[in-house]
Amino acid sequence: MVTTTPYRSSVRDPRDGFAQLMLSEWTKLRSVPRWGLTMLAGVAVTILSGMLVAGGAGSSGSGSDGSTKGISPQYRDAGDYVHRVLLGDGSITVRVASQKNNDPWAKGGLMLRASTEPGSPYAALMITPGNGVRLQANFTTDIPGSSGRAPRWLKLTRQGTSVTGSESADGVTWNKVGTVELEGLRQGAEIGMFVASPDALNLRRQFGGEDLVETSNLGEATFDNVKVEPARPQQLPPWRGGGERAAPDATSFSLAGAGDIAMYHYATDATETMLTGAMFGMMAIVALAVLYLTSEYQHGLIWTTFTASPRRGRVLAARAVVLGGVTFVVGLVAAFATFLLASPMVRKGNAAPPALSDPQVLRAIVGTAALLALVAVFSLAVASILRRGAAAIAVVLLLLLAPLVAGSALPLAAAKWLERVTPAAGFAVQQTLERYDTAIAPLPGLAVLGVYTALALGYAIWRSGRRHA
Amino acid sequence: MIRTPLEGHAARPSPGAGARKTVPRRDDLGPLPFVASRGMEATIEVRELRKSYGSTVAIDGLSFTVRPGQVTGFVGPNGAGKSTTMRMLLGLDTPDGGVALVGGRRYRELRAPLCQVGALLDAGAFHPGRRARDHLLWIARSNGLPAKRVDEVLELVGLTTAAGRRAGAFSLGMHQRLGIAGALLGDPPMLIFDEPVNGLDPEGIVWIRDLLRRLAGEGRAVLVSSHLMSELEGSADHLVVIGRGRLIADTSVRELLDRASDGRVAVRTAQCLEALTVLAVDGATVAAGGPDSVTVAGLPVERIVTLLSDGGVSFSGVSEHRPSLEEAYMELTRNAVEFHATAGQVRAW
Repeated sequence: MVTTTPYRSSVRDPRDGFAQLMLSEWTKLRSVPRWGLTMLAGVAVTILSGMLVAGGAGSSGSGSDGSTKGISPQYRDAGDYVHRVLLGDGSITVRVASQKNNDPWAKGGLMLRASTEPGSPYAALMITPGNGVRLQANFTTDIPGSSGRAPRWLKLTRQGTSVTGSESADGVTWNKVGTVELEGLRQGAEIGMFVASPDALNLRRQFGGEDLVETSNLGEATFDNVKVEPARPQQLPPWRGGGERAAPDATSFSLAGAGDIAMYHYATDATETMLTGAMFGMMAIVALAVLYLTSEYQHGLIWTTFTASPRRGRVLAARAVVLGGVTFVVGLVAAFATFLLASPMVRKGNAAPPALSDPQVLRAIVGTAALLALVAVFSLAVASILRRGAAAIAVVLLLLLAPLVAGSALPLAAAKWLERVTPAAGFAVQQTLERYDTAIAPLPGLAVLGVYTALALGYAIWRSGRRHA
Repeated sequence: MIRTPLEGHAARPSPGAGARKTVPRRDDLGPLPFVASRGMEATIEVRELRKSYGSTVAIDGLSFTVRPGQVTGFVGPNGAGKSTTMRMLLGLDTPDGGVALVGGRRYRELRAPLCQVGALLDAGAFHPGRRARDHLLWIARSNGLPAKRVDEVLELVGLTTAAGRRAGAFSLGMHQRLGIAGALLGDPPMLIFDEPVNGLDPEGIVWIRDLLRRLAGEGRAVLVSSHLMSELEGSADHLVVIGRGRLIADTSVRELLDRASDGRVAVRTAQCLEALTVLAVDGATVAAGGPDSVTVAGLPVERIVTLLSDGGVSFSGVSEHRPSLEEAYMELTRNAVEFHATAGQVRAW
């Protein structure tokens, strides 16, 4: 028998940690030119389709009377407002004598606001035909009072930056409705009576889109017993607005106005529309993520991978980190480029165009990158479980896109449910406005996709160590 | 020594022998009935290995050892279980019973395995769109090997000029070289090659033979499988022959050839009849080997020459019969087939 000194490897200090695995997977990913081209195609499709749809992404609707100009399409700030300047603390009292019942949410009452600029801070105490007395502020605060209707007494009191609303049936016994804080309220504030009434909406959801017709709906109300305190008639400026100029000592008004002072749930989300291109770019990402894995089975490379790194779960984890990271960076470039190139093409409306300075827009852009990264990792996990490229691509696209396509044909409640519980919930992260058909808030939506991804990847990792290669 | 499978079972070392050394183990693999010692650093070993796929028994109690410093040929017909055994050695498949060890450990327990075991399983295992250099680079990086190792192994297998080309454009011979380069990246003391000669041209066969000899000469344990014994002629020192998942022979090449030659001598002569008569002496077996040759067994060459000369028989040559490895193998497997027929009956009983 031959006796020999056993050979010892000349390679000093080899390491097979997670960092080495990641570098190895990155080398794999970057060295197949076709994959790089697929990724580029995904970016190009995202940007181009974003630019194509941007033209139809302008704000629409009938809140087009200039009074909503320059504010987010999320809000409507229009109506008939008779007002005067109130310096410092004080109050206004009025009796709403009558109100036309043309909409449950027709509004008539008192409003104090920082200025007459659309979108400026306000507090409004109002009577509605269908929703009782309400104290609302800055579009988002809504405090219900009694369910009384006109005629009814209302009082708005300012003290510093807090504004308190009270109501009374007889002008003698007062009940407090609530107090709101208005940040940035200065010494001089506008105070007065307002009337508004939301547009009548005719919404038709149809397969693949929606058709919205808004008709202006004039609200009317009459006010008397107007009293502003402190009563310093010689110092009070005249009433302004509402198309009429009243004497400083006028105490009765009749107002009529369309438009609304509230959140608006039917605006087109221009940012989301621009970023829908990511849905098409995503298909390239899904294909790439699946091929990245299944090509190793196809070419027998999986054995090479597992002999170099026998801990299979770690290999899959490293793949997921590398693929997710690369997709996130590429997705970020694609989303930013889409926004920068497509936003100049958005049809100019009254509402402010989306801007990068808006945290919601920024969240949608970065969120789109995160969405693509999660989709890539999800595809990788599904591919690892199924091991068949075509099947994996079909399953992933079905789970991601079918709820969106089917949703547009289903009743709203069913559509919302689908978009909440399926991986398609991840697309919610592209929203910058809250709409009537919003199924889930942006970050929770992304989290739903994150949970699906984590479960799929966890199962794939658990399974990889136990399965025949 | 030629061991039958039954003798192979008896040759099992006792589990408690030698100094115990703690081997990290995975819970699901169970305890190792084996002790890793320094002498096992570069030894490949399978013991009592069993593997079934469904009702098909692929490996049936296989045991053998591949020692450092020599090329061990792993031979058997297609489907004999060679690749399955190698896959279990490389941790790609889990045995149903027994152990497959490299350097005294299970493959999955190795750290930076490329520096301990190099493997070529499938010469077609590469992505056609990837450059040869990148293919080796990702393998190297997974074990933290320096990039210069990639250039070194490319040079070693003669692919330096093709390093920038996509592997899909390579010839079959270049694929084999690329696969071998991958196996050598970690400069490992143990090498496992599955059919490395398959599909090579004569030049490639000579190249592989020289490479295998050189690698073994450096003190590495080299296990090379083939379904053709002739491919291993001139490179293998030792042979492990299997059939239907069982060991048929575990022998050095020299022993096998000596045994197969049986001391037969071939005599070339035009006077066959006369030669037969003269040589038919006590203790000799004589047979006509053809129109102008006679085969003699049981007589040394010197005696044959004397007998022929004394008998006045003219002859043009006397040579010891040297069987080729292929012939020796055929003889061996013929016996094995008979053995299997018997074994099959026993099992059916």
